[in-house]
Amino acid sequence: MRFKPRRLTSILVKEYRHILREPRTLWMIFLSPAFVLIALSFLFASGSGHVELAVWDHDRTPMSREFTSNLDSNADFSVTYVDGYEEIDDLLIDQDIDAAVVIPSGFGDAVHDPAGAPVQVILNGIDTFAAGQATGSLLGYASTFGLKLSEQFSLSAPPPLQVHSQHAYSSDTDKRDSMIPALIPLVFSLPAMAAALALTKEKETKTLESLVVTPVRPLEYLGGKLVAYVSTALVGLLPVWLVATVVFGVPFRGNLLVFVAATATFLLANMGLAIFIGNLVHSQQTATVIALFIFFVPGFFLAGLIDPIDTTKIVSTGVSHILPATHFVTICRAIFVKGATLGDIWPSVVGLLGIAAAWVGLGALTFKKRTS
Amino acid sequence: MKDILHRIWSVVVKEFLQLSRDKVLMGFVILAPLLELALMANMTGDSVGNLPLAVVDRDASRASRELVAKLDQSEELLLTTYAENVDQAREAMQHGKVGAIVVVPPGYGEYLTDPQQSAEVQVIVDDSNYVVATTAESSVKNAASEISRDLTAHTTTISGEPVKISFVARFNAALDSRPRTITALLAMIVYQVTLIIAAQSFTRERERGTLEQLRITPVGRVELIVGKAIPTLVIGLINALTMIGLIIVWFEVPIRGSLPLLLLLSIPFILAQIGWGTLISLVSHNQQQAVLFVFAMAMLEVACSGFLVPASDMPKVMQVVSQVSSVQHYLVILRGVMLRGAGIGSVWVPTLALTGVALAAMALAWLRLHAGLDTDSLRQRLRAAWQQRQKQSRRRPSPTTRSRREKTKLAPQPVYATHQEPVRRRRRRS
Repeated sequence: MRFKPRRLTSILVKEYRHILREPRTLWMIFLSPAFVLIALSFLFASGSGHVELAVWDHDRTPMSREFTSNLDSNADFSVTYVDGYEEIDDLLIDQDIDAAVVIPSGFGDAVHDPAGAPVQVILNGIDTFAAGQATGSLLGYASTFGLKLSEQFSLSAPPPLQVHSQHAYSSDTDKRDSMIPALIPLVFSLPAMAAALALTKEKETKTLESLVVTPVRPLEYLGGKLVAYVSTALVGLLPVWLVATVVFGVPFRGNLLVFVAATATFLLANMGLAIFIGNLVHSQQTATVIALFIFFVPGFFLAGLIDPIDTTKIVSTGVSHILPATHFVTICRAIFVKGATLGDIWPSVVGLLGIAAAWVGLGALTFKKRTS
Repeated sequence: MKDILHRIWSVVVKEFLQLSRDKVLMGFVILAPLLELALMANMTGDSVGNLPLAVVDRDASRASRELVAKLDQSEELLLTTYAENVDQAREAMQHGKVGAIVVVPPGYGEYLTDPQQSAEVQVIVDDSNYVVATTAESSVKNAASEISRDLTAHTTTISGEPVKISFVARFNAALDSRPRTITALLAMIVYQVTLIIAAQSFTRERERGTLEQLRITPVGRVELIVGKAIPTLVIGLINALTMIGLIIVWFEVPIRGSLPLLLLLSIPFILAQIGWGTLISLVSHNQQQAVLFVFAMAMLEVACSGFLVPASDMPKVMQVVSQVSSVQHYLVILRGVMLRGAGIGSVWVPTLALTGVALAAMALAWLRLHAGLDTDSLRQRLRAAWQQRQKQSRRRPSPTTRSRREKTKLAPQPVYATHQEPVRRRRRRS
């Protein structure tokens, strides 16, 4: 028997009927990505970070008081005054502060020294995010304070080296603009989970056996299922796109057609992976647990969503690129913010196509064995 | 009381029997958390490093080469491209090959040593990824300030920085991001396993039609829920314990606080998940919907947990909303007890909050349970009653026998009916 599109269509019709029969499932596949994206996007405020500080002024001179009071009035910091290292340690253990500033005695005189006046900062080392933020803000504060002082005393020549930094794409790109496109792959893993379960459900309720006796070939069956779920999920792209561009005002500088095609490929790859999982196990419960392990935690940690992938580590780079999301995160960011064309991002697109082909192929191969 | 315990116990035995029958599932639930923790922690533990850097060196002097070498040596940056001009470097960035471009202008070396003037370099960062952008920017600035300091120390001119800050990190001297990542992983993995098992407990029975069988046994609804919760709790605790063991043995992250306290405080965290999961399983029509609910909820909780965005950086509204997230409170406890050696006196606030969330989730599940084990039972009953009334009014003139038949057909659903849209099927038949 040859592959016949007519039989694929009949499977397609059957799948659509399945999806449409449960209006709630349909709405969840349509709207849950957009809904989750809204909720996630609200997390990213446009403003910069706020640092909770404890200050121990050991010096108590006019100079040290100027340093601390300026710190206190700075909007980036909120200051608690303490006395002694034990108090600082208690606050650090209770996680009430991100960092503690200790001004040693002799600070007021040492500012006139060529070596500079030392100030110690104790960071909360556990939350490296907050620690990094505190470091940056305090360094910035110290240099403006220093600049003001040197003007006051007309101390010195300009610093020998200055750095001008510039954003490559837009001066007002903020956290939100960079994170929302990267979250799109994550929210689109939801429909893939639904597809994985659709297959095991047929196995569990034994309707797959009745399909085996029909003339439908495995490939036609899989094709119908993939097309049905990919197309259903793809309609959900519209609300997601609207949420990103209209609600949150993320710039969309690339080609919409390329973006839709990339999303379809990504969905196909995810569904292929999901179907592969579905083939390996017999119960929906197991399929769900495995799918959650593969899509959920790695989606956050491995796909380059937060920490960029370190290409010098070969193993982790390899594993990350097995996940379809990794390629799609790169593509989404490039299309939205960079306005990348197909020519710019072709390596990621080829990677995504390859991964999609591999997972769908694996899904088809393992599926054949099961029905024969 | 003894009877109740006995009935709960029999449900627990049944659940464990069912779980142990599915060998793949059991293996996955027990071993996959360890595997995933080990893999993820190994791959993502370090801080951001080796961002690809392009350099446009228009000066080509000894000083500029020193600057480039210094940038390359920093942990965050890795020199990959020498570009002829800025356009070429920008094209590499557009292709995603480099994350930052440093432009050294001509005459850099001379300006650098001239005390009357300052040399300037330009750094262009890829703002499509803000982590790359901020890391690259601060790394270049650090290298520049080091160079400035070395120079001023050499020439013994008065430094432009009267205040010099030295940083020390408490609890984690190297500012390694691994303890932070590992605790987040631990919480997320326990979370996903317990939530998904709880969320499928009732939907699975309903889909297989075994819920009806359970309903005709003397086991009450609450006993059923408690009996189903206990195996999930046990699995969650096993997961937490084995993963903490793995963290101590393999990753050598010290446990500074009390381990029993940590396990004790894991119980409300798992109970919260059981509450939410049971609620999901009571409102879902089938496992597909349950999974969609779980996944959506899991993403929201993790997002609110302060892992994706530090809690202090969230907008005020979201800071309040995120108090509902049990993951957030558990992470505070976990990091406090495990990494900072906090006692119960330091973590009582998140403990109370966590217990509150757990109780609220349980209460919601309890309320939903009172509406019946059948999904949408209330709505379906109302719909059936409404249609009955309509048909009655429409067919008032017809013979009584017929309307009585109509009535029996549209009788309200029994509480333990399966979920399959009975109303629609009936309409099709008639």
